[in-house]
Amino acid sequence: MSLLKKINEMSDSRRSRKAWFGAVCVVFLTLIIIPSIFVVFRLFTDWSSVDGVIADGATMGVIKGALFNSFSIAFIVTVIDVIVGIPMAWLLVRKHFQGKRYLDTLMDMPLAFPTAVLGISVVMFWGAPEGIDIPGLGLNLSPYAMLILLHTIFTYPYMVRSLSAILEQIEPNYETAAMTLSASRFTAVRTITLPLFRAGLVTGFILCFARSLSETGGTYIALKMMGVQSTFFTGPTFINDAKSLLGPDSAMGPMILISVLMIVLAIALLVAARLMMVRLKIPTSRVWPQFGRRLSRGTVPKIKDALSIAFLLVIVLIPSFYIFAFLTQPVAAVDYGALLSSIGLSFLVAGAAVVFDIVFGIPMALYIARNRRTVLGKMLDEAVNVPLIIPTTALGFSLALFWGMFYSGDSTAVFTAMVILGHISFTYPLVVRNIIGAVEEADASYEEVAMTLGAKPFQAFSKVLVPIIKSSIIAGAILSFTRSLGETGATTSISGAVKTVPVYIMDLVNKDSYAEAAMCSIILIVICFILIFAVRMIINRGERHA
Amino acid sequence: MPEITLDGLVKEYGGVKATDGLSLTVRDGEYLCILGPTGSGKTTCLRMICGLTAPDSGKVLFDGRDVTNEPVSRRKAAMLSQVYSLFPSNTVYENVMFSPKIQEWPEDDARQIVKSMIKMVHMESKAHSYPRELSGGQQQRTALARALASDSDVLLLDEPLRALDARLRLELRKELRSMVKEMRLTSVHVTHDQDEALEMADRIAVIRKGRIIQVGTPTEVFRDPLTPFVANFVGRSNIFVGVMGRSFDGYSEVMMPLGDGRAVLKVRRSEMQEGSAVVVAVKIGSTKLEKIRPDAAGGTDPPGYFRGKVERILYEGATITVEVGTPAGIVSAKLPNRKFEDHAADDSVLIWWPPETASVFPMPPEGLEDELRLD
Amino acid sequence: MKIRMENVSMKFGDFYAAKDINISISKGEYLTILGPSGCGKTTLIKMISGILRPTEGCIFVDGEDVTDTHLEDRDTGYVFQNIALFPNMTVSDNVGYSPRVRDMTKDETASVSEEYLKLVKMLDRAGAIPKELSGGEQQKVAIARALASGSKLLMLDEPLSALDARVRVELRYDMRRLVKKLGITVLHVTHDQEEAMSVSDRIILMRAGRIVEIGTPLDMYRNPGSIFAAYFIGETNLLECTVSGKTKTGKTVVRLRGGQMVRAAKSVLTEGDAAVISVRPENVYAAKEGLKAEVTEVVFMGTYRRVRTVAETNDYLEYNISSDDEIPKIGDKVHLVFNKKATMVFPRPEKGLKEAIELE
Repeated sequence: MSLLKKINEMSDSRRSRKAWFGAVCVVFLTLIIIPSIFVVFRLFTDWSSVDGVIADGATMGVIKGALFNSFSIAFIVTVIDVIVGIPMAWLLVRKHFQGKRYLDTLMDMPLAFPTAVLGISVVMFWGAPEGIDIPGLGLNLSPYAMLILLHTIFTYPYMVRSLSAILEQIEPNYETAAMTLSASRFTAVRTITLPLFRAGLVTGFILCFARSLSETGGTYIALKMMGVQSTFFTGPTFINDAKSLLGPDSAMGPMILISVLMIVLAIALLVAARLMMVRLKIPTSRVWPQFGRRLSRGTVPKIKDALSIAFLLVIVLIPSFYIFAFLTQPVAAVDYGALLSSIGLSFLVAGAAVVFDIVFGIPMALYIARNRRTVLGKMLDEAVNVPLIIPTTALGFSLALFWGMFYSGDSTAVFTAMVILGHISFTYPLVVRNIIGAVEEADASYEEVAMTLGAKPFQAFSKVLVPIIKSSIIAGAILSFTRSLGETGATTSISGAVKTVPVYIMDLVNKDSYAEAAMCSIILIVICFILIFAVRMIINRGERHA
Repeated sequence: MPEITLDGLVKEYGGVKATDGLSLTVRDGEYLCILGPTGSGKTTCLRMICGLTAPDSGKVLFDGRDVTNEPVSRRKAAMLSQVYSLFPSNTVYENVMFSPKIQEWPEDDARQIVKSMIKMVHMESKAHSYPRELSGGQQQRTALARALASDSDVLLLDEPLRALDARLRLELRKELRSMVKEMRLTSVHVTHDQDEALEMADRIAVIRKGRIIQVGTPTEVFRDPLTPFVANFVGRSNIFVGVMGRSFDGYSEVMMPLGDGRAVLKVRRSEMQEGSAVVVAVKIGSTKLEKIRPDAAGGTDPPGYFRGKVERILYEGATITVEVGTPAGIVSAKLPNRKFEDHAADDSVLIWWPPETASVFPMPPEGLEDELRLD
Repeated sequence: MKIRMENVSMKFGDFYAAKDINISISKGEYLTILGPSGCGKTTLIKMISGILRPTEGCIFVDGEDVTDTHLEDRDTGYVFQNIALFPNMTVSDNVGYSPRVRDMTKDETASVSEEYLKLVKMLDRAGAIPKELSGGEQQKVAIARALASGSKLLMLDEPLSALDARVRVELRYDMRRLVKKLGITVLHVTHDQEEAMSVSDRIILMRAGRIVEIGTPLDMYRNPGSIFAAYFIGETNLLECTVSGKTKTGKTVVRLRGGQMVRAAKSVLTEGDAAVISVRPENVYAAKEGLKAEVTEVVFMGTYRRVRTVAETNDYLEYNISSDDEIPKIGDKVHLVFNKKATMVFPRPEKGLKEAIELE
């Protein structure tokens, strides 16, 4: 009580508000930003080891191949997501039909699957991996094609979500207005809505591209199951495997080099994407009235909607859930003790990260949302995205190097703390982004009016704003939690000793214990769903009361 | 209740001055309307009074005490926002209870005050409804009760009726003013609606481009506007351009070019120099029409009269508006509705007005069009 | 264009947004649809323009059934409440949008755009983008855009409600002059009775999804068919009373709540009927004798003053005095008489007077 009162009183002073915000910025900078990109400094201090790698043609060839694979897969996946994401976003935002709510929920399901699990499930479905008795489609796909199918699954929801968010903000009257002016729906969308859509495309693009670029666990498992893990690399799987492949000492140079290259390329590419999107003009000067009309009526729109839903089902959902086919098999022996302790560890890491994200993310989000126009606001807005676009494996590696400067022991507790910091880095932007959106939607006048009624700024925040943005905070927390739960790359590159669930599953796959890995995955998924639905129920009940 | 003094307030947003040396005194217990077009700085002014916006320079004084750097929560200036901003997850009762609870009043007192406020705004039957279940007018009244229950000394109303239907607005004007007056608060009401200001205000401050250009009672502002803008903004006016003529006992003459010839307009007596370019403004409600019989011969009209042809007559309820085409443009006259049968399209009419109702101003240096711009 | 709606209804779930609408609109008519928020007035024009398809009934334009014609083939101009200019295009591209999507050449498009911008006096801002314009300017461009489609039928959905009061007044006169010059049929939706009165040829008054009354502004104001119409269109004093008989000339005599007798206009009501009389403030005068009332407030309204009183019958009564008249003081006792020709008599509503005039 007295502490709360003190906080209330202190919040009335401009100076203490500034001090608190300053502290948040310092935490953001020292715990998140600097460790994330620390590896870039190491490039210069450790130039000698890197220099050696550059001279080594064979290793360079592998590195180049891995980078090419990572970036080209990310690009192709993102393009696919855009193409199929736009009609799906349309369906979700502009159309009203029965069962829309279920479609909405199904959309988020892949996000609750740890990618390591998706890796198993997808290869099982499309291919016919050795050592698994359950028949899949048995297609003889190249690793490259398989990875595209895999990455599409976990990037697709991000794309659809960011496109829907923008579409919701675009005045539907624009389209109606265009149609009253004799434009067919196709023409109206092409000339009015799509050009307004660019900002959403950039966000979706960044999210999907970065997500695909980062992914380690699922990718590694897929490659392993196809038996190509030591010949076919992506950037993250290379970093993941470098130590065992090249030995701990000679791995340093290549790891630094590929990490820096991935970070720099990712940032450069995304800056370029942002600039291009702004300039990109969707050609609108020509119209074809008859053609547009034919596309807008009758069966064409229906086929489009059907294809969108079919894509969701066939490419995204069925391959994701295919792992449940293991339930038809005799129940595999599971080492429950090890599984539960790794689940406990995962929950600890994810929980700690989420709590940190909320405590330090809300002030950041508030500042950015309310100060969009100031220089500092714009800078922070961009800076928050940085950990999001850095591939998590590179990020983890960078973080390990940074904290390795201060600690050289081998205590698992310390490593766990480092893993938590790593998970904070890439989940922080997710929470902040979500809350920024909510705060921008909540009219500033709620808090302002509360203050004119005598509320201190902290009271206005805690009693007025928080209830309004509560559901977004929780949504952000769920998103971060599941994202952390599914993360492999950052964890393994920080320390091999911290066995979170996905790492545990990956180890099982490495030992060819597919059935046990699948069982563990199923148990994990069930726990995740129960958790998510419980949280949703609590929110819904809260909202019904409100 | 405090007297509020604003002294030379300047606030700039990205190079644009929202207020530009704004000074104004609001008297103790007065209901003052700040009237001006969109973007004239009126909301910024209100936000500076309660502290939501800090001025770049200038001072805000409550009873002579400088409060410019005092935090919002201590100023005791409650804001009634344009969108009401009722807290969506709280009931009407909880909304009104917000301030007493925050200020930790004894529970019994708080409950009593909240109940009496809810009763005053006739919301007893809806006390346990949520804001989204209320109609616009009910939301508005709840927001008022919430502001009044805060024990504030100053009430700031930011276009409180804007979001309501026109007809409802008429009813709520009376209601809102009488409730606020009953509490004897010093009130500042921001609006773009001159009818609302005329009907509700003790005094009106007309604001434009970040400055107060005239302060006075509704009658003063309506009858003795200080600039052509005020003349046309507070009640529609017919505007004429001419040259100052001679002055007589009780009136002056203005020469206005009219077609090939000219007309002599009679205006309120003015000391302006003969021959200077002037602008004349006459409220359409003061403009009179006199029908000319078809057989009446042409010739020059007497001073103070000129002629035109009725173009259309609009029946607007209590009044009619007659639009008369003249070589000097369309002249409108707003007449009582019983005159509806007196006029018909294509009638020739003489236009005149009592000289004391015509204000005369020097030609504004930036040109008349810029001066009269409404937005 | 002529429009006819036959038994048109629009149902959302179980809720009728519009019910049993029957109207016919003649060519070149300026019609306003007036009513409080949520009365279904926007639904009505959305059905005519094809944005909504009615769940029942048919709509005819120039005798042709267009109920199932697609929105983009209706050829109806529509101006939105929130203006909805395309934010990514200049003013001239906005106005030129309709010619362009009909595949006109660049030159044709440019000349159409110029023509209509000139018409609304916005040609000098042709290169601006919408957010650089003031609200009033944006609305003029939106009107030009709707007209540039060449449509002879224009829907205005609360076109002025987002604007400042003073701009609103100016623009409504401009708007009427413009469409009358072009001979276009207009349906204008508004909740502002003053606006409706000053622009329309006829007014459709709606309430709760149904049409209450249709008539010219003059008819509606002088001879409203219901208490709601009398109250909604212009201000009025409403007094509950009982019919006590008729005069020789057929005028109705009513007894007010305090027992005072008042003469009112003709009516079909007979002795003993519960009634309500409606008399507008400009038809109430202070006199030597008459209904006693105490002045509670005098308000300056510009060209006149409004005097608010409480009568001895406990009714609130308002009347106007010229701004040159002597101003009564608060607490003064006055005697009020009514212009009996302009005092309308209505049967007292079963659910009470309050419900009959509820605005929300």
